[in-house]
Amino acid sequence: MGIKQLFSIIKEEAPDAFKEGEIKNQFGRKVAIDASMSIYSFLIAVRSGGEMLTNEEGETTSHLMGMFYRTLRIVDNGIKPVYVFDGAPPKLKSGELAKRFQRKAEATEGLEEAKETGTAEDIEKFSRRTVRVTREHNVECQRLLKLMGIPYIIAPTEAEAQCAALARAGKVYAAASEDMDTLCFDSPVLLRHLTFSEQRKEPIQEIFLEKVLDGLNMDRKQFVDLCILLGCDYLDPIPKVGPHTALKLIREHGTLENFVAAVAAGKAKFVIPEDWPFADARELFFNPDVRDADHSDCEFKWGAPDMDGLIQFLVTEKGFSEDRVKAGAARLTKNLKSSQQARLEGFFKPIPKTDEEVKGLKRKNDEKIEKARKKAKEEKKEKAKAKAKPRGTA
Amino acid sequence: MLEARLEQADLLKKVVDAIKDLVQDCNFDCNDSGLALQAMDNSHVALVSMMLKAESFSPYRCDRNIALGVNLTSLTKVLRAAQNEDILTLKAEDAPDVLNLVFESSGNDRLSEYDLKLMDIDQEHLGIPDTEYAATISMPSTEFRRICVDLMALSESVSIEASKDGVKFSCTGDIGNGAVTLRSHNNVENPELNVDIELSEPVALTFSLKYLVNFCKASGLSKSVKLCLSNEVPLLVEYGLDGGSYLRFYLAPKIGDDE
Repeated sequence: MGIKQLFSIIKEEAPDAFKEGEIKNQFGRKVAIDASMSIYSFLIAVRSGGEMLTNEEGETTSHLMGMFYRTLRIVDNGIKPVYVFDGAPPKLKSGELAKRFQRKAEATEGLEEAKETGTAEDIEKFSRRTVRVTREHNVECQRLLKLMGIPYIIAPTEAEAQCAALARAGKVYAAASEDMDTLCFDSPVLLRHLTFSEQRKEPIQEIFLEKVLDGLNMDRKQFVDLCILLGCDYLDPIPKVGPHTALKLIREHGTLENFVAAVAAGKAKFVIPEDWPFADARELFFNPDVRDADHSDCEFKWGAPDMDGLIQFLVTEKGFSEDRVKAGAARLTKNLKSSQQARLEGFFKPIPKTDEEVKGLKRKNDEKIEKARKKAKEEKKEKAKAKAKPRGTA
Repeated sequence: MLEARLEQADLLKKVVDAIKDLVQDCNFDCNDSGLALQAMDNSHVALVSMMLKAESFSPYRCDRNIALGVNLTSLTKVLRAAQNEDILTLKAEDAPDVLNLVFESSGNDRLSEYDLKLMDIDQEHLGIPDTEYAATISMPSTEFRRICVDLMALSESVSIEASKDGVKFSCTGDIGNGAVTLRSHNNVENPELNVDIELSEPVALTFSLKYLVNFCKASGLSKSVKLCLSNEVPLLVEYGLDGGSYLRFYLAPKIGDDE
């Protein structure tokens, strides 16, 4: 899922590229949410006693529960969500998908075994690994969204790419996904943790692509190359390339072409997998198959919820509590009606920083990074020392 | 080097009190013309703009531009140690780690001195365009506070309508609705109670009462308050202080849906 370790790199190299804040700071903004990822996380997280929630017939309802209440929380905070569902996966992803399928199959076997011999913990662990988002889950969630009056769109291929396209065109303020891929698809702003549960108290992360590129001192192409090296969904990772190495390699070689050539010439000792069409992967990031933001499918309308429909679907068919569904629908109606608070940025524009200020800031940032590095090094040393001491002598 | 002496500590105490609930950390930008502060609240709905001109201090000295990054909660703690009538002196080096505050009591010879640690704050400055407002309303600051507090009991938001008949503050809530109308009013004996409405065209806008009530914490700074409105721009609430200094609040309006 996503790009390995990218966030830790951003945190180290471009600490001013992300902000953390409360969900209510996002009010008044439209946000495109990666629905498939969210449903998956609901299926994993919305559970009771380690078992997925079900209605009396034994049909899973975790995804609907998550979708309903988490969307309510988003709307309550004055955010207007648009959900984007995955379409057909791009061909390049088939390798990754096959691997995931394999892992699921293994996990299913593991689950069977654990049920016979293992502890409750093992069962839960394996059962979480067997989770798959099925077509039915998607269809049910779409039906729910329609009843709630929340717009959604089915992307031609990857949902993240569509979210990014909408954000880039200014249709929405940001793309919301846990997946760092979204930045490679050129989303100016990425929100993370938006669909998390309130109880987790995770702050909403806001990541700004432009500042990431500034901080890394890269253009977008190099950034995408970096992400491919770190390991994306489309290509196998190169053995022995971790975040630090990947960063160093891109800084040294500039592009993946140069890097691959250097490896071929024997100048760099890495083993690149045989089938490694990095140019195709890059192409996917640069020109993904998405609906144009001015396409009629991207005209989003937030409407009133269909109270009777919601009760029929959630209460009668899925066994939700009628009172809670009614209260939820009432909240949706109220939020739709109340006038929206505008943000000051719409009226007053930030004054661009002078070159001097930018330089000063850059210097300060570099100092901070340097300090953090030193500290980490020293801690490591301390640890090594502590370990080197034979036990019992302290 | 900054050195600024205030005859009465309560000016700074009141200013900080008025804004500390909107803004947590901010820079006091000091230059030879005075002490300025600009900061938005967390959700970027309201903006505080403060200017304490050099004339408000005696004496005032600032050789180089300095930004003092202050946590307002901490500053409040220190300022609590000052009596309202104390003489307050702010001092800082050119590249300061701390802000030095000295309180001198005029009655006896008590002298207290505090150092407040400063922080690095990377702040975004907003450019505020000069606006010819369609309506400018001056009124007693206590009157404005009363209206906001009274209407807050009914609703979250207030609609402010200025027309040639006067200015009307109205709200609608679950329990009912309410409205307060003020007309231009000239009190010869007590000019502080004047209500003055200047209007070039009618205006109607809706604002969050929570924020307005918060702004009203500045009521103690000035007897009168000025509201400036134009359609589709933020409201300006200004508390004028002696010597051309001011404390201004900007508030983004609530808007009907664009779809």
